[in-house]
Amino acid sequence: MKRLLTIGVWIAIAFAGAYALGTIALYRGEALSATWFVIAALCCYLVAYRLYSAFIAAKLLALDDTRATPAERLDDGRDFVPTNKWVLFGHHFAAIAGPGPLVGPTLAAQFGYLPGTLWLIAGCAFAGCVQDFIILFCSIRRDGKTLGEMARDEVSKRGGFIAQIAVLAIMIILLAVVALVVVNALKSSPWATFTLAMTIPIALLLGIYLRFFRPGRVLEASLIGVALVMFVVVAGQWVAESPAWAHVFTLSGVALAFAIMVYGFAASALPVWLLLAPRDYLSAFIKAGAIFSLAAGILIVRPAVHMPALTKFIDGTGPVFAGKVFPFCFITIACGAISGFHSLISSGTTPKMIQREGHARFIGYGAMLLESFVGVMAMVAACAMPPGVYFAINSPPAVVGASPEVATATISSWGYQVDAPTMANLAHAVGEQTLFNRTGGAPSLAVGMAQIFSSTIGGERLLSIWYHFAIMFEALFILTVLDAGTRVGRFMVQELGSQLWKPFGRTGWMPGVIISSAFIVAAWGYFLYQGVLDPLGGINSLWPLFGISNQSLAAVALVVATTILMKMGKLRWIWVTLAPMAWLVIITMTASWQKIFHANPRIGFLSAANTMAAQIAAGKIPAAKLADTQRLIFNQRLDAAVTAVFAVMILVLLVEALVQWTGILSGRRKIVLQESPYVATKWAAGAEGD
Amino acid sequence: MARNFETMRISAAQALRQFWQGLREWCGDAAYERYARSHARHCCTAALLTREQFYLEELQKKYSRVSRCC
Repeated sequence: MKRLLTIGVWIAIAFAGAYALGTIALYRGEALSATWFVIAALCCYLVAYRLYSAFIAAKLLALDDTRATPAERLDDGRDFVPTNKWVLFGHHFAAIAGPGPLVGPTLAAQFGYLPGTLWLIAGCAFAGCVQDFIILFCSIRRDGKTLGEMARDEVSKRGGFIAQIAVLAIMIILLAVVALVVVNALKSSPWATFTLAMTIPIALLLGIYLRFFRPGRVLEASLIGVALVMFVVVAGQWVAESPAWAHVFTLSGVALAFAIMVYGFAASALPVWLLLAPRDYLSAFIKAGAIFSLAAGILIVRPAVHMPALTKFIDGTGPVFAGKVFPFCFITIACGAISGFHSLISSGTTPKMIQREGHARFIGYGAMLLESFVGVMAMVAACAMPPGVYFAINSPPAVVGASPEVATATISSWGYQVDAPTMANLAHAVGEQTLFNRTGGAPSLAVGMAQIFSSTIGGERLLSIWYHFAIMFEALFILTVLDAGTRVGRFMVQELGSQLWKPFGRTGWMPGVIISSAFIVAAWGYFLYQGVLDPLGGINSLWPLFGISNQSLAAVALVVATTILMKMGKLRWIWVTLAPMAWLVIITMTASWQKIFHANPRIGFLSAANTMAAQIAAGKIPAAKLADTQRLIFNQRLDAAVTAVFAVMILVLLVEALVQWTGILSGRRKIVLQESPYVATKWAAGAEGD
Repeated sequence: MARNFETMRISAAQALRQFWQGLREWCGDAAYERYARSHARHCCTAALLTREQFYLEELQKKYSRVSRCC
């Protein structure tokens, strides 16, 4: 009877999910309630977790709770620490949840809500969660080895080297693009700039408190820090209203780019306890609070989604970024559906802390489902505003025109009505000078979040506070990715440099620290600078580059996973990783080809460079702009070269893997699986370690 | 009735304690206590680090590998 009831409940959940998905796919009326998105996402996640992850756990991986995990066998209270599964879920989720699932869906909303929402839900269930779960499992079975080490051991030495180089290259592009999102969010906004600037002295204060007064008392220090950050969000309004102070904190894109580079260098070179760690603590609490509040806000307010299911921009003429829905929707959504970077976390700290193999399903598969839900919420927040407003905020002046009147006329001519007074009123309500041409996704997401929050608490009166809270939240945790990433990049550069000259690898040697920090900041700083100067807003070229690199790394992770499963003799179920891997190779190769060779200069890097070169040759560029145009031509060619490098890396790894797979399948190659030997757990079933 | 109320009060207090402990574990506040317990359990030959030493060494390790994602 109980079993029948359980089956009945799951059938009801499946039907509810299918009905909600059908509604959001087929509805063509005025506005659709966000409740349908929440029901569709949650029901699909529940069914995917209950059925697909259980199938993978049982048939493919054969998770074994009698087998001692590295955390049990190697428990040292430091690296290897058996951790409660709920706490580890929180750790893992905090590590994988970055700005990607917020920014990607916001940008992809230009195609309409449907393509992005479907990919967020299906992509995570069949690709993202699968990657995170299986890589976590593989790493647990190998004492917490990293993705690079597993690629070297299981695929080939060259494969391991490619994976390591890919990580460094992706990190550089990632840091540049997230820094550009922050620059575009803070540009000409004294309130937001002041708030974010003040988080630096707050972090320094917390760093000193945690180092000298109360070492390691993270919780109390973070609570003090969060209270101070909330105060500066409010105080930002006083700064913005004071002409003298507003002038000090009104910075151009170039000035902000250099300020962020200086910050990245300082965070990388200064002692970690002083700036980087306390900022990370602050960011973790605010991130958790903001995501929870957004979910609660959407459930309470149930905003209407005004964006149509599909816009005309699926044809590739979108103002936010150019390119057709295939492959650019998938490249743009990236982290909310599948992120290659997650494989670094799944093969980093988490496998060393897991108590039971069985927990890998909840932590690996489950945390990615939650990340996808964050992406769906971002999509709802972006699509809840009138489409005309969305396009006015996210379109660069080179596409829609620089003046409010021209921009609104252009956008209205596409069928998305908006006028200059509406935009002026909205900007005034959120405490900004203007909301036109604020590309990058962060300002439009902040407007969407602020409208949801203010409908829950405070009404119109608090709209400006909520908007700046949302901007601070996005910028704060983007900068956390930036400073932590710069520091890791510095270590990678030092490690590579040590192969040429040993002392360079000493992490405490100051000249090495300064040179390697400067190198890594210069690398991402260059791409950031070119993005700031790009007349199309930078996001048009950098976000697809980031998406291609991120999805390429995911393909690398799935190649490693497929090879391991093949060696485990799981040929019957190999499609579980092979299918998403093939899909990622198809979308990254198509996007790379189009970004390099497409005839449309807004899509193809080489075409853009050639168009500008032809303009110079025809004498159409004034002498004063000649140097700038030549730099833009160089940047376009550089972006083409970087895209080509990513494509070649994934193709070389694929060839390496195919050689390995053919050898295994034909029986010519001896199967050597680098798993740690089985050791029985000493913990009783259901008992937990410390 | 009074007994039910008392049972509910105890359950609520336990749940709160668990939540607080989980929060401390999640943010790293309880890391030193866990290390000290593990050190005592495994009878390590190495000297027990002070809270300050442990805090600084953990930070160095945590931020020298990929710890935050995109």
